[in-house]
Amino acid sequence: MDKLIAPPEINMERLGEIVSGYGQQKWSLIPLVQEIQAEFGFIPPAAVPIIAEKLKLFPSEVQGVVSFYEQLYTEPRGRNIVRVCRGTACHVRGGKTILKLVKRQLGLEENETSEDLEYTLETVACLGVCALSPTMVINNQVYGHMNPKKIKEIFKREEGTCS
Amino acid sequence: MQPVTITLDQRVVSGHAGMTILEIARESGLDIPTLCHDPNLEPVGACRLCLVENEATGALLASCVTSVAPGMVINTNSSRVVEHRKNIVKLLLASHPDACLICDKGNRCRLQQIATDLGIGFNELEKIPHTAAVEELNAFITRDAAKCVLCGKCIRACQEIVVEGAINYYRRGFATKPATFNDAPLEQSECTFCGLCVAMCPTGALMEKEKPYQGTTRFSVQSTCSYCGCGCPLTLEIKDNQIVRALPGELDLPRQGALCVRGSYGYDYIHSRDRLTRPLLKENGSFKEVSWEEALAVAGAGLKAVKERYGPEALGVYGSSKCTNEENYLLQKFARTVLGTNNIDNGSSLYNFATRVGLDKATGLLSTTNLLEALEQADLILVVGADPPVTAPRLGYAIKRAVKFRQAKLILIEPRRTKLTNFAYQWLRPRPLRDPALLNSMARTVIDEHLYQAEYVNTQTEGFYDLSEALESFRPEVTADLTGVPAGEVRKAARLYALANKAVIVFGSGLTGAVNGTESIKALANLALMTENVWGSGCGLYPVQKENNAQGACEMGSLPGYLPGYQPVADPEVRQSFELFWKKKLPAEPGIPVLEAVSRGRDTPLKALYVIGENLIANFKGPNHNAEALSSLDFMIAQDLFLTETAQYADVVFPAASFAEKEGSFTNFEGKIGWLQQAFPPLGESLPDWEIILRLAREMGDPLPYSSLQQVINEIEEYVPLYEGYYHPEERLGDKWSYWEERRHRALQSLDGFPGFSSPDVLPGPETEPGQYPFYLLLEASIAYFGSGTRSGKAWRLKSYYPPEVLKISPGDADKLSLSGGDQVSIVSPTSRLAAAVEVSEVVPPGTVSLPASFPNVEQLFGAALPGKGETPPPEACYVKLERVNPNG
Repeated sequence: MDKLIAPPEINMERLGEIVSGYGQQKWSLIPLVQEIQAEFGFIPPAAVPIIAEKLKLFPSEVQGVVSFYEQLYTEPRGRNIVRVCRGTACHVRGGKTILKLVKRQLGLEENETSEDLEYTLETVACLGVCALSPTMVINNQVYGHMNPKKIKEIFKREEGTCS
Repeated sequence: MQPVTITLDQRVVSGHAGMTILEIARESGLDIPTLCHDPNLEPVGACRLCLVENEATGALLASCVTSVAPGMVINTNSSRVVEHRKNIVKLLLASHPDACLICDKGNRCRLQQIATDLGIGFNELEKIPHTAAVEELNAFITRDAAKCVLCGKCIRACQEIVVEGAINYYRRGFATKPATFNDAPLEQSECTFCGLCVAMCPTGALMEKEKPYQGTTRFSVQSTCSYCGCGCPLTLEIKDNQIVRALPGELDLPRQGALCVRGSYGYDYIHSRDRLTRPLLKENGSFKEVSWEEALAVAGAGLKAVKERYGPEALGVYGSSKCTNEENYLLQKFARTVLGTNNIDNGSSLYNFATRVGLDKATGLLSTTNLLEALEQADLILVVGADPPVTAPRLGYAIKRAVKFRQAKLILIEPRRTKLTNFAYQWLRPRPLRDPALLNSMARTVIDEHLYQAEYVNTQTEGFYDLSEALESFRPEVTADLTGVPAGEVRKAARLYALANKAVIVFGSGLTGAVNGTESIKALANLALMTENVWGSGCGLYPVQKENNAQGACEMGSLPGYLPGYQPVADPEVRQSFELFWKKKLPAEPGIPVLEAVSRGRDTPLKALYVIGENLIANFKGPNHNAEALSSLDFMIAQDLFLTETAQYADVVFPAASFAEKEGSFTNFEGKIGWLQQAFPPLGESLPDWEIILRLAREMGDPLPYSSLQQVINEIEEYVPLYEGYYHPEERLGDKWSYWEERRHRALQSLDGFPGFSSPDVLPGPETEPGQYPFYLLLEASIAYFGSGTRSGKAWRLKSYYPPEVLKISPGDADKLSLSGGDQVSIVSPTSRLAAAVEVSEVVPPGTVSLPASFPNVEQLFGAALPGKGETPPPEACYVKLERVNPNG
């Protein structure tokens, strides 16, 4: 985890290929940025002027749309997305402490990504499994009845599978 | 339109279907407060302050976005509405800093006004301040997002009116703010500092930054911008004989009232410390301040002495395309009746020469054949050798609006990459000086493919047969090697233009300033005529004018060959009629263009020169000859705001008043009249140009018969064709624009017979070998540097915005010469050499290099301005070679 990996190089050629697949219509913008995100994991700022020129929009306009949607990212994200629930049920059962401990464990604040691109930490409003509160999700795996010990164990295991 | 009647606060009011409740309310005199609404912008309903109550349903509606429906009963001011409105304002204030006392927006703040009107004092809501600061280095605009109420006016102004798109909403919810791409400072964005966002911002979020004068406006005047040929209406806000602020004119057309950086912030030169405040007299090579009496006496005696010794033809008068119509009228009358010479000219006459010759036969009109607002109706816009967003921003905005919002197609013929490139449907980059071949090939294609309006051409025009013969050798396949534009592209452009329903052509100094500009403009006129695109909404030819009164100065007769109204001085009938009006004998021989006279250097036929508001030395290329001519004169008078490079040569210098200090009118490039209203008295002892001319005539013992400016205006109305009733066109014709229509009709009538085609005089020549000077050097206009920099150089905010002084070279050429960014080179032309640093840039095509027009001494690289027989405008480009400067020796 200490080893630093440089953020992924953006393959501008591939970016050009994706962009060239879209017409000049305004409505192409969201499908286009989604495809770019699917390819690169995020929407590189360098892509914005290229998208703008293709769709005959202003870069500021494209940025306006990209920055509006929570599901569009402008920075690279970690290979593992950790979401800690901040919902009411989790909160009354110590969710706040769980979040604090996960932050400490990963050395990350909310919406931050580790330098080696291993983890991104986010919070979520409710997972809908309040019976398991406090909860946390790593990628698609839900972890319920969280406690400090469990946090340590989960991340130990995770690291085992990752490295 | 369907009439609609509704009940508004117990009053029955009527409007028509499609109106909003807000519009109907404001029309009937009810004031509903708004922050985000502006009649010039698309309504968004963002601020919610305009909410009103629908009595039937109880719904609260944002009146700015709700259309009226028949029978609606609306309360705009019920206690429920007011309560909600108060809450909205309180919420806005809760995140707004309590900085009103030190906020420069002061009592102009709409938020403050509305809060006061609603009686909001102490706000019990908890404060959640926004903290956002962007460090800006530019001299024009400062942004404070903490004071932003997210009305979105700035964003809409930037997107909808000036179509720059520098800012947009960024992020979401409470974090939202207007931001540039990457949230960068404005100077690193697309922003051109037009100032419209600042003018529209209701709070202190967007403010003018380094204003020369602070304080609360005492009064405002309606004026006209003094820079480019667009002549935008201007509101000047005044306090203590100082301009506090310049804003778009109050009476400007809807959705067109936007200034540029020059209009909004370029007025600083008026308050420059370098302004001349007293007449100057040269004694033993240096100037001393003297009284008007003394200066006028020396000036009068000087002119008289030369006239007596050498005759009137040795006198020359050089008027200004920056002076008013009235001043130009007086000046040419002074030259012709007091001095007795036709040697009168103005700075724009040479730039207009190509246009005049090129368009005359086809249109009979020497200006645009249509109004700017008609341009936005076009389906296709062909822009050739022009960069309107820089040289004529108002025209640039209109082109961009037509492309962005009306899906007009833009064909751009321009070697450099400009702001319009991103808007272009098709971009052609011809080789230097190959525009005539390219444009004639387009015409050839239209003829070959029978895309012209055959019936119109056959019945209402002349010379088509000759033209199609003459264009035989211009098939695109033949000219492609010459122009560097593939035949397919030329054919595509020709088809687009000819098949468009309504098409306009815009051209600028890329053509008018090229040695073969006349040929290009003739080709454009032919194209427009054969496709019937000269007249009518969405059609026309638009020459870009450089100076704000270039049109008017020529129409007033500040030309060696023409009396007012472009009437040839050589025509005895015309002369006779003016002799009758003026009760004076007029010289019969057309005069010599002043520039031609001075470009002969020491051999100039002139012995005395009276120069008003023109900078012969800096404005025209080849200054050495001009300087020699000026120093060989026996006597010279200069009249200007500043002691310019040209005024340095004068024996007497008269201090002139700026546009804000006088009255009069300008004629813009469309032929529209813009009036000046005096904002404050002239600085020091300076006087308006018209008054100086009158005083000088009186001094020479031959007074012109006027005691006020109004008498001059009356005379122009009476004697200058196209200017009847120009003072109050509304009174005579009901509205201003039918005045313009009449003007156009009269021009068309002035044609002898039908509009005619002009055959090219030059056949497509063989490709020239790159000789000793392989690079074509272009001058790149910039929005802040204007003309020769006489005024923009004294407007310090503009000066801070001059482009970097570098030579732009294409990546391919840089590779060939193994140059990289920052390297020093010598630019060598046949006449001179200059050192510059290199910037490798995609902006210029291979074989071409460019320097900013503001580059010091750049004019020395150009050949002398030798207009020959007045047929060639002075070149604004030349061939050069580059020599690397070895840093080691």
